[in-house]
Amino acid sequence: MSEPILIAQDLVKYYGDNHAVDGISLQVARGEVFGLLGPNGAGKTTTISMLTGLFPPTRGTILVDGIDLAKETNKAKAKIGLVPQDLALYPTLSARQNLRFWGRIYGLRGKLLHDRVEEMLQMVGLTEKGDKAIDTYSGGMKRRINIAAGLLHKPDILFLDEPTVGVDPQSRNAIFEGVEELNRQGMTVIYTTHYMEEAQRLCHRVAIVDLGKLIALDTPTGLIRNLGGGLILVGLGEGQAEAVAREVAGLPAVKAVTPVDTQLKIEANQVQEALMGILDATGRLDARVTSLEILEPNLESVFLHLTGKKLRQ
Amino acid sequence: MNILNIAWKDLQLFVKDRGRLITAFLLPLVFILAFGYAYSNFTTESTRLVSLPIVDLDGGRMAQSLLEMLTPDRGVEPKLYKETEAQPLLAEHKIDRVLTIPAGFSQAVAAGEPVTLRLVNHPEANESDTVAVVTVLGGLSSDLSLQTQLISAFERMGQMMFGVPAGAEAFSTDVIITQARGQFERAKTAPLIDVEKKTPETILAQRADEPNAMEIAVPGMAVLFLFLSAGATGLAIYSEKKLGTFRRLLTAPLRRSEMLSGKLLAAVLVVLLQTVVIFAVGAWLMPLLGMDRIALRNLPALAVVSLLVALCSTSLGVFLAAVCRTEGQISGMASAVLWIAGAVAGAFIPQFLLGNVLGAIGKVTPQYWAISAYSDVIVRGEALTGIGPQMGILALFTAAFFAIGVWRFKFDA
Repeated sequence: MSEPILIAQDLVKYYGDNHAVDGISLQVARGEVFGLLGPNGAGKTTTISMLTGLFPPTRGTILVDGIDLAKETNKAKAKIGLVPQDLALYPTLSARQNLRFWGRIYGLRGKLLHDRVEEMLQMVGLTEKGDKAIDTYSGGMKRRINIAAGLLHKPDILFLDEPTVGVDPQSRNAIFEGVEELNRQGMTVIYTTHYMEEAQRLCHRVAIVDLGKLIALDTPTGLIRNLGGGLILVGLGEGQAEAVAREVAGLPAVKAVTPVDTQLKIEANQVQEALMGILDATGRLDARVTSLEILEPNLESVFLHLTGKKLRQ
Repeated sequence: MNILNIAWKDLQLFVKDRGRLITAFLLPLVFILAFGYAYSNFTTESTRLVSLPIVDLDGGRMAQSLLEMLTPDRGVEPKLYKETEAQPLLAEHKIDRVLTIPAGFSQAVAAGEPVTLRLVNHPEANESDTVAVVTVLGGLSSDLSLQTQLISAFERMGQMMFGVPAGAEAFSTDVIITQARGQFERAKTAPLIDVEKKTPETILAQRADEPNAMEIAVPGMAVLFLFLSAGATGLAIYSEKKLGTFRRLLTAPLRRSEMLSGKLLAAVLVVLLQTVVIFAVGAWLMPLLGMDRIALRNLPALAVVSLLVALCSTSLGVFLAAVCRTEGQISGMASAVLWIAGAVAGAFIPQFLLGNVLGAIGKVTPQYWAISAYSDVIVRGEALTGIGPQMGILALFTAAFFAIGVWRFKFDA
């Protein structure tokens, strides 16, 4: 990995007895598109909030391009751009008025401010409609202006928090292309999403967060490779899972078996071979198979395997 | 610089919000017009009797005639006092006014010599009542003068015709009528009895004038609507939380104090602009519509009171945004509590008519002290030193609202 632009060390955030984030450490390389995945309540939003300086961690340190966020807050924040999930814009003001405001907040003035605003409007394809109030825009147009507001000051690190929620396919594609273009220009992007195909398409590396902890961090390919040939979910009759698990665990095509109530979660090196062995074992043990599901090896199945939950759960 | 950026953005949002513009500028004007009109009429529409304490230093026939003519159907209720009783009662404002019939009144009137009735008013006496009394006395004096002069003329004519044979009278009926008309005109233009309206000098120094309808309506309505802006300030802050713009600002390179200060600066400027418009209307527009005019007697004091009112209203807005959890709670507080507080503070009913109970309740609101301060500056031309108590209490309210508001404030929804 090249030189890290963002280092988070042992981040902890407590709300009373609730450990929203419990010891997350990660490094993001300069020029990387870094995915942060996690189900609702996993601690993903709290992590992003701490990394962007929205509030400080209970414990831990964050360095933005070598600058300690806690000690030189404004200097570090100037290097960060945030595109929040909510449309954090003023609906009755025009797109230009909104962008000018956010530009001034980041210290842009005069011609530079004017040029940046026009550049961003052009980038998101809204130059012609720049003087219309935001509340007259479609959902996709609002999202595009929301992104433009985060890019005005050309940050070193751009946080995109679920940028495609509620966006039509055309605008979604435009956002993907925009992110890829920004990355080509050298911008580091930290991207959170519920959509696995987005993470697989855009992210160089992906971190999976659950219950406030970082449970996996690798390239999408690496994560999928770890899962092996695929994931097989077998539903069994009451009290039969343990016995079948013992039988199946010894099969050469099976990498790992995890019983969860009346279900077995089986990681397979070779799905077909493993399936034959599983059916053979259930037959021998006279176990009743109530359901059978085979998951292709992708980030979705990796996520399910690691957290026991579907991503949008 | 970021404070100014945020304030400028808030002013842009204010200008785009038609509802707020109407509430801030149009509604106060409508209310001032309506209540100003009502205040200018309610005393003349009243049918109550006006109390008229009288000191009769004359005791003669003409004084008796005058007293007999002061009947309830003329709208006054005379009551005789000794001079030594009346003066202390007036000084303590236990009576509003004293009419003194001077010694020698009857003799002077009978001799056709001019004489003056003296009406002394307490400075806080109801001006409309005073006007009513002067009008009644003027009418009675005119009648009494006319009656006296006619009798005198007829007596002189009778003396001239004494002993003249029938058919040889010097004055025909026409001559008598002409004489009577001449006396009538003379009584109107040069009455024997004049009414002098006075206010004791010692008390006059404490109060230069009585408020006219606009001087009651404008301070009351100004304060009502300036404090209603606290609701709008609270909603503007809540809106930033709801939109997520506060969250976005928190990730930008600026301090939280700058964020809040920018919003407060915009709110104070809006309230000050409201103040300027409302008082300008009272001073210049209302007279053009045939209404009374407010006198802007002490502009520096007015400016300082307005600044303190703007700070108090804005601090109240921060307080509302901090203690209310929902948009509905802020709207509810603004529409219920602020209107009611304005009412008991004297926005709709002049403070001198609030009575003991409402007056006491009103004093626990900042609006009461704001109206009182404005009234003292506008009606009496008081300087800042003269409204120290009101300013002090308003400052305490401001500090309390601000301290609690900042203490309880959350930037996130």
